[in-house]
Amino acid sequence: MSTIVIGLSMGMLLFLLAAGLTLIFGMLRVINFAHGSLYMLGAYLAFQMVNVTGNFWAGLVAAPIIAAAIGALMERVALRPVYNRDHVYQLLLTFGFILVLDEAVRIIWGLEYKQMYPPELFAGAIEMFGSSVPSYRLFIIGFGAAVSAALFFILDRSRYGMIIRAASGDPEMVRTLGINVSLVRTGVFSFGAGLAALGGAVAGPLFPIELGMGFNIIIDSFIVVIIGGLGNIRGAVLAALLIGMTRALGYSYAPSWVDFLTFILLIGTLILRPEGLFSRKGRTA
Amino acid sequence: MNAQRLMALIVAIVISVPLMFPEGHSIGMVNAILIWSIFAIGFDLVFGVAGMLSFGHAAFFGVGAYTLSLLTMRMGWDFLPALGAAGVIGGALALVFSYFAIRVSGLFFALLTLALSQLIYIMAGTKLRMLTGGVDGIAGVPRPDLFGIDFYDDGNYYFFLLALFVLALLISGLIRISPLGQALKAIKSNEVRAEQIGFNVQRLQRSVFTISGIYAGVSGGLLASLIFYVGPQMLHWSTSGDVVIMVLLGGMGTLFGPILGVAIFEIMREWLSTQTSHWYGILGLIFIISTIGMPKGIAGLIQQLWNRIMPGGKS
Repeated sequence: MSTIVIGLSMGMLLFLLAAGLTLIFGMLRVINFAHGSLYMLGAYLAFQMVNVTGNFWAGLVAAPIIAAAIGALMERVALRPVYNRDHVYQLLLTFGFILVLDEAVRIIWGLEYKQMYPPELFAGAIEMFGSSVPSYRLFIIGFGAAVSAALFFILDRSRYGMIIRAASGDPEMVRTLGINVSLVRTGVFSFGAGLAALGGAVAGPLFPIELGMGFNIIIDSFIVVIIGGLGNIRGAVLAALLIGMTRALGYSYAPSWVDFLTFILLIGTLILRPEGLFSRKGRTA
Repeated sequence: MNAQRLMALIVAIVISVPLMFPEGHSIGMVNAILIWSIFAIGFDLVFGVAGMLSFGHAAFFGVGAYTLSLLTMRMGWDFLPALGAAGVIGGALALVFSYFAIRVSGLFFALLTLALSQLIYIMAGTKLRMLTGGVDGIAGVPRPDLFGIDFYDDGNYYFFLLALFVLALLISGLIRISPLGQALKAIKSNEVRAEQIGFNVQRLQRSVFTISGIYAGVSGGLLASLIFYVGPQMLHWSTSGDVVIMVLLGGMGTLFGPILGVAIFEIMREWLSTQTSHWYGILGLIFIISTIGMPKGIAGLIQQLWNRIMPGGKS
């Protein structure tokens, strides 16, 4: 039972990152290498807020907002001037962001590990089907499900979602209709950055907060978005749960092969179905 | 004289600093520049000439370093054959990578090469720990033992590296003007058209990727012998990132640009790291600004300045 809970909570965490990555790709055609750094930044920001205010929820709210502002700045200042160049340049720019963000975190918070604690409400463990499960894991599952439901609602039902879907399909036409596509792009990138930081804030109490945490999770998120199909957010949900469960099962049965297996999965997908396992034609956001 | 020759002159001046100031402390840095330049020249054949962004070259670089170290230290091979083997193994691994990675293009190619090289990195740290020394790496990598010259002296080793550097530069220059280089440029500018003309696109891309892997393997072996050490950090993807930064900073697709990029990178590493411990962040900032502001790198900048100083002249 605890394996399932760990797998689901990991899947939900991965989904928060993958959703941002895949939204950004769907809209901007940019693979954001710096997504892991934003996730790490989110964890540090949440840690800082908790230290200052003593309130976990303040961190959970503040971290994504600050990261979203940084994301907007990144898009506006660096990415916008190079949209009409080869996509490789945008990838390289996000690689540059990693160096700068990691350095900023190192300057502000230093090298030692930071520790965050779950809020009192979810500090304990719950007995479920004869095994004890940390209630914070259950909170992550519920929280992730709520966020993904909200995401789907925004994308499928709201006016903003309609604009995003339209602008990722045919930006020129949407611009002709009088919508500021540049602003939509900034908004989507900033929103994705916020989601990454939200993931970092949620992950704070689970893992030690350290500089390498961004890179460890970015590879898994790449795997998720590629297996789910780049730009396909529904695929990302399924793929995130798949990878989360694979990791959880792997850790309990063959821990030294986990990284190996996930990489094989990624490489296999890229070779056999680069458009993703759960892709449907014509679906972008 | 044109901008190309001006760049060649700058490169010549940079690498001949130890000749002019044999007593200075610059030799260690110039040696590193020569080795990283071999890596960057080879990387640019893939990135600048053929237009494929690889984030996996650390694998060939690191595997070359391990090959040289293990063959000389455990198997008792001489340095030169071991260095050759480093190139062969680097090239062979690149060939294996290319069979997987060339099936996809663009961003997927970058991601797939990154994933493959991280796989090697993880293997070196865990499954192959017996062979690679795990995170500790292997210390005591030797330098060549030739003609009774003491290559453990940096000043003497400089000449050995200089010879290899010139050879690497020559071969790269020849590849660029060869039919292979021309065909690769055609593929870069329009892959579909190149295929329609009758080029076997995948085979050409595989060839250049393998050649680039040989460059990376040789330079990895040389770096291990320069610093007497090989560790998993050389396989890490940040090493791939470093060489991308060097080439882009210097000017991708040009013969001398990548070398200038390496020189700037190394001089910054040397100088900034004495000024501040945050030099990597500053490097990131410079990288972002130069990617936006001068996509053709220093080579492009020199070309522009040259055209302004010598208006009307052919460049």
